[in-house]
Amino acid sequence: MKDLKHLIYFENLLQDAQNELVTKAVEEGKYALGYNCFYIPEVLLNLPGCFSSRLRAPRCSSSDVANYYMTTRNCPYVRSILERAIEGGYNYLSALFGAESCAAMERMEEHFELLHPVKNDKFFVTIMDPPMRGDKTNLDYYKVELKKNLIDPLRENLGVDVSEEAMRQAIAEHNELCRVVTEIGNFRKLPNPPITGYEFHVIQLVTEVCPHYLILPYLKETLEELKTREPEPEFPFRAKLVVVGSEVDDPEFTKLIETCGAMVVADRYCFGSFPGREQIEIHQGETAFEAICRHYLYWSQCARFMDGEKIDQRHREVEYLVKEFGADGVIFENMKFCEFWSYEKILASHIFTNELHIPCCTIEKEYALGSVGQLRTRFQAFIESLEIKTIQGGA
Amino acid sequence: MKITDKLIASIDKKLERFDPLWRAEHGQGGQRSRYYDKTGIEKYREWRGVKDTMYDYSIWLKNLGSMGLMVARNPVRVVKGIWEYRWMGSYLGTFIFINRLYEGYRGDELRVAHMGMHQIVASLTRLIGRVLANDKRLGGGPLSDTIVPMDEVIPPLFMKGFKGLTGIPLQLLPEFIICDIDQQLPPHYIDVAESFGLAADVCSRCAVETGVAFDDAFPIFGKAFLTTNMPCNASECTSMFQRRRVDLPDMPLTFAMQHNTKEGNEYSVQILKDAIDFVEEQYGVKYDWDNLFKYAKELNEQNTIEMEKWEFFKTPYSPLSGISETMYKLYEWAAANGTEHRFTKNDRKVIKIMRKCYKEKYLPFGGKTRHRAFMWGPSAVYYTDMPTWCQNCWGITLVLNMDSTMGHNMISTEDPDQAIKDLARMSEKAVMRHHAVGGWENVNALWAWAKSFNCDMILFNDNIACKGMNGVHAVMEEQARELGLHFIFIEHDLEDNRSCPRRDMRKCVNNYMSIVLNEEPLDPTLVDFDDSEAY
Repeated sequence: MKDLKHLIYFENLLQDAQNELVTKAVEEGKYALGYNCFYIPEVLLNLPGCFSSRLRAPRCSSSDVANYYMTTRNCPYVRSILERAIEGGYNYLSALFGAESCAAMERMEEHFELLHPVKNDKFFVTIMDPPMRGDKTNLDYYKVELKKNLIDPLRENLGVDVSEEAMRQAIAEHNELCRVVTEIGNFRKLPNPPITGYEFHVIQLVTEVCPHYLILPYLKETLEELKTREPEPEFPFRAKLVVVGSEVDDPEFTKLIETCGAMVVADRYCFGSFPGREQIEIHQGETAFEAICRHYLYWSQCARFMDGEKIDQRHREVEYLVKEFGADGVIFENMKFCEFWSYEKILASHIFTNELHIPCCTIEKEYALGSVGQLRTRFQAFIESLEIKTIQGGA
Repeated sequence: MKITDKLIASIDKKLERFDPLWRAEHGQGGQRSRYYDKTGIEKYREWRGVKDTMYDYSIWLKNLGSMGLMVARNPVRVVKGIWEYRWMGSYLGTFIFINRLYEGYRGDELRVAHMGMHQIVASLTRLIGRVLANDKRLGGGPLSDTIVPMDEVIPPLFMKGFKGLTGIPLQLLPEFIICDIDQQLPPHYIDVAESFGLAADVCSRCAVETGVAFDDAFPIFGKAFLTTNMPCNASECTSMFQRRRVDLPDMPLTFAMQHNTKEGNEYSVQILKDAIDFVEEQYGVKYDWDNLFKYAKELNEQNTIEMEKWEFFKTPYSPLSGISETMYKLYEWAAANGTEHRFTKNDRKVIKIMRKCYKEKYLPFGGKTRHRAFMWGPSAVYYTDMPTWCQNCWGITLVLNMDSTMGHNMISTEDPDQAIKDLARMSEKAVMRHHAVGGWENVNALWAWAKSFNCDMILFNDNIACKGMNGVHAVMEEQARELGLHFIFIEHDLEDNRSCPRRDMRKCVNNYMSIVLNEEPLDPTLVDFDDSEAY
């Protein structure tokens, strides 16, 4: 396929947390608001005068100082983020909105307060207590926590307009971005898609780390380009896969899978588009804030939800993606030292394989994609097994 | 002096050379000399002088009586239980377990320790009997459907509002208690869990629970299951497996993780209200506040006495410390939690002894205490006698343990609205949760606790798989340095003795005491030895 016009530009934007669009928005007087977790609604960080910045630590090759603070026995994602903060990589931030979604995340976010690594006079940190069930009690608590830890501090510390109108405007802009990204992603449903999983991964990531109003024009142009982009004469991959699991913010991971011969057609992981790029609907009688809370609680696929309904939803959603995107199997990944996804991985792989009859390969990964030999071997073997299944007519 | 006292003193003098404390003091051996190498098997019982040896032996008989009573009540079920469950066999190690816990104890410290332990044995044997008699795996029983299986970290007092129902912590027998007794058992269940693909870096306590679930080693009873998000991430995860394996309608009691806030407390109250609705619906009963109040009074009295005990802990004259304090408080609070009068009665007796000791300026452990330590972080359950070892080897008295600081708030005994708030508060501050989660200030409370209890040393349990505590590693160490406190990280793997054996845990303390503080051990036989094959 011919290269996408903006792909290299997008790839470059992913080389630093403070990329050129982030710098531009900050210079325009916008507040950069950092977050790590889906529990913090991205849309609320894009209220007028602000923009969201989901924290990554690109090109982080070692986390020695963070290891001192958090030991080497902790999640490599949080250690890498802390390392990058100590290096001064997030000085553009005006706030970090954290969530006690897991112990490691919470401790890392606390270090942003204890060590003062972000050199920005306005900078502050809040950490919310996110819900653990999908019911009304937890929805109410979610609203209370978001108001206390996000809405009120935005208004009081930064003077951000948090009115109903402002939220409706933020939702409208958010929905527009989601519509474009979803349309781009939907090309992956085609038998011979004009986009690769890697390219989509890059596109999805730039929407999470760049100011929306600055990246949207590029995305729209890319969407138009894809409509007429000629795919390869024949589908160049041997299988289609859905990647499921914990945090993946390195498109090289997707590239690794694709170089092994399988296209990644859907991305159900933290930083992926499922969930993340669903449009927010405001129901009759609801305020914009209520709609946002309901939306994020419903769509969250986090492995820490404990009630049966949300647990089943996690597996149903993957089953839906496999069918909708015509995938042959699932790669289930978890970050090393991630308790939630480590447990969910064995439960899900059992359910996918034995109950839903979806072939599943489980792997554990580091944050920085270093030695990939073992992973490559696992992926190749899995793809081969899928191929054999196809040759044998699905037997 | 009475003639009998004179006689006893004379015998004690003649036989003192058999006392391991005397032998250590005189360079003729010590506590470890009594054991067969590598094992926890004693060559002979500890000679503690006439009175203490007789007392120790009489309690041994009393505990044996409790176990005998359990078997006599339902011998067939006990045999079936041993046949069905691997963990049942490990309870045979209880006597060795008690012996090692109270090694070196004399006088009043021995008495209060045994008084507490006997209550645990009596309570536990009754519970084992009841569980086996109603376990559906073994054929069920008359109470099978009136038992509510619940997570071990949900305070049982809450269940007392369901008159006619019995809340039994599901993990208590197969995991929570037995892992304290037998260090060789949990690795089996860990291996079971890991054989299904569970990562080896998750908390081993939760890995064991998961293994027990996979191994179908939980007893089965009840009509619905109450799980919980307490205390931490891995326990939330293992609850998700247990609900699937137990296969009953379930409700996770997801108490606020950030429990120092008004909003968090209100949320936890609603969680309890939801739980009441759930149990009422599943079991067709109504919550009876009067019944709750009855047992809340018990707990309130225990907590009142506990507060008085704390005042004595601050002095050098407390006979209650170390593992005798920790083990008793853990069981009394987390397992019985006001539901058993025997603990109130015991508390009343113990506090009298403590008052007497304070009045008489009684120095426990022969006055050999050199350091007063606060133990922070969840302890290694495969090395429950580590506080005893610290005392006997280096003269470090463990004044209080982090888990003993858990929710001591009083429960209203008149107003249901206030009572449910109090229960929520107590649940949020439950075992391994009060200080381990919910934000930095909860961990950082360590220094205030240590200061208030006049401690000069912190033994910081460094559970290698605890992501939350690992996350504050350096800042805690830096603060200890600033405050001038002795601070020792003790690496352990909670229930997996293979990754950090007891010997390595001792090494952490040995190194600090000998290299940093340049101190000599009280009992050189305890400094370095191999007990890898012990219970």
